[in-house]
Amino acid sequence: METVINTTTKSDAQQKSSLYRAVWRWHFYAGIIVAPFLIILAVTGSIYLFKPQIEQVIYQDLFEVTPQGDKIPASQQIEEVKRLYPDAVISKYRPGENATRSSEVGLTVNDQSLTVFMDPYTGKSIGELNNEDRIMDKIEEFHGELMIGIIGDRIVELAACWTIVLMVTGLYLWLPRKKPNMSSVLYMRWNKGRSILARDLHVVPAFWITAGMLFLVMTGLPWSGFWGTQFQTIATNSGAGYPPSVWVGNAPVSTVTKDIAEVPWAAETLDVPVSEVQGFIPVSIDDVVQIANREGVHPSYTVFLPKEATGVYTLSAFPPKAEDEITMHIDQYSGAVLTDYRFDHYGFIGQVVALGITLHKGTQFGLINQLASLLICLGIILVAISGFYLWLKRKPRKSMGAPKSTSIKNMKLFLVVLIGLGILFPLVGLSLIVIFLMDVLLIKRIPFLKRFLHV
Amino acid sequence: MCSNKGDGTLKKVFLITIFGLLLGGCSLKEDAAELYLQEQPLHAEVVLPERITSEEPVPIKVILTQYGKKVEEVDSVEFEMWKHDDTNHATVEQPSELEEGTYGINKTFERDGLYYIKIHASKGNAIIMPKVQIVVGELSKSELEYLQKDLPEKEEGHDHHH
Repeated sequence: METVINTTTKSDAQQKSSLYRAVWRWHFYAGIIVAPFLIILAVTGSIYLFKPQIEQVIYQDLFEVTPQGDKIPASQQIEEVKRLYPDAVISKYRPGENATRSSEVGLTVNDQSLTVFMDPYTGKSIGELNNEDRIMDKIEEFHGELMIGIIGDRIVELAACWTIVLMVTGLYLWLPRKKPNMSSVLYMRWNKGRSILARDLHVVPAFWITAGMLFLVMTGLPWSGFWGTQFQTIATNSGAGYPPSVWVGNAPVSTVTKDIAEVPWAAETLDVPVSEVQGFIPVSIDDVVQIANREGVHPSYTVFLPKEATGVYTLSAFPPKAEDEITMHIDQYSGAVLTDYRFDHYGFIGQVVALGITLHKGTQFGLINQLASLLICLGIILVAISGFYLWLKRKPRKSMGAPKSTSIKNMKLFLVVLIGLGILFPLVGLSLIVIFLMDVLLIKRIPFLKRFLHV
Repeated sequence: MCSNKGDGTLKKVFLITIFGLLLGGCSLKEDAAELYLQEQPLHAEVVLPERITSEEPVPIKVILTQYGKKVEEVDSVEFEMWKHDDTNHATVEQPSELEEGTYGINKTFERDGLYYIKIHASKGNAIIMPKVQIVVGELSKSELEYLQKDLPEKEEGHDHHH
């Protein structure tokens, strides 16, 4: 291991080398903590990329129908579902984007969310799927929140943010310190022995995928629970983001607030005044489908039924290409289009984020997009594993093998970068505070930890 | 904007910023929708007599507004009417303009029962089709049952009734 440099008058070279070690130290600890999560994200992400193909295969029987004649109106399909599931509350209807696609009715019954697949030509149910059992949803949950809800969401977000720290420190360490020599920087050295190979297996691919990795992190962050929500709110408030209700914010309410027909309660007699029974009643789902066709809504849309008397019908489609997105709210009593938000109506940031999301999911450019993203994911796995291997190989038995820490005074620039990242990503900032407190309160006071962590 | 920049007594400012963000966060402005594309939906108010009986002319009026103002000239307005158990015999009538933004007909219902009027109105891209349920004379038993068919569980319903 290196010797401690602790002189009061430092030469330029010494200062540089202590900065180098400080950056290395941060890269080292951040890497060890973040690597397992990066591997999880990359593996689940690689699978999720191929969701369209995978679901097409495993749910083929539920997805595909044979066209024959005209489609049966949505209202009749829903009636059939009500007959089959008398106690269910119907929440959504999806007509199916093409002639061979089944339609879907979403419902909840006994606290379970089911999707019932209907043949729109026969009006009969093809089968049901418990949303809990959808394997790709599980993968997505794992990718987004490690299947443990909000805490998982924050952990993933933290790991993503710390990946930026890893990339910044990594790039600094990667920068050739002597005269530039492109092998070991841009190309692998395959026959210079195992330790050189191990080092190159980490450094070279890491450099090559840095841009892609940064892209995945930056496009993934806007849908994270904490940073993402804050970011989206600021963007929407500024007029440059998504319009409200597309990501953050509520749907508008119905403009019809009075003269809504009431339902008489007692059987046999009319127990409320006639004038109460008279009034507006909701437009039917068939009208909503007709409005969707008239307005040119992308055929992959889903209709979310109003949940309450003041609610609206929400039409939402997030197809493979961001340009086709739409979120439309329709007054449930008048059929008036209350909002019609498409990609063109998003603010600039909203459009960038929307495009980022479809690229992140690998749908924007189809197979090419999926393969490019897969390559980045595989690269991330390789870099995480080779980094881990580098550590194991160099690790002394009785300590972590981290580079010695240097005084904070030697790394002003680095500190500014860290604090900058901490402000930009509050979770990073928060974790920096936790690290700082742990350092002061725990590590510095316990000799074993001090030795082990090489403080 | 929610972010602050800190310098000088770094740690303090830093801490305050972080906790400020964590605790307060940002909330969505109520009028944020005004920054984006806004629709001009038509709004219909239907005026009906308190009690409607069969075999006599009933004045049915609709007042069309757009953002609280009466609509000067609509592109089209039609009343589509049918009896609840006779959807095949829907009639369509063209109302006459009674005053600005107000259109009406005098309709004679031949029989008692549950009827529907669907008002189709449009002005430019704003198109609406509100549906009104009306009771002419007395309701039959089957019509009453029909009205109640979508009722959820009885007890639950009573709790929520207002």
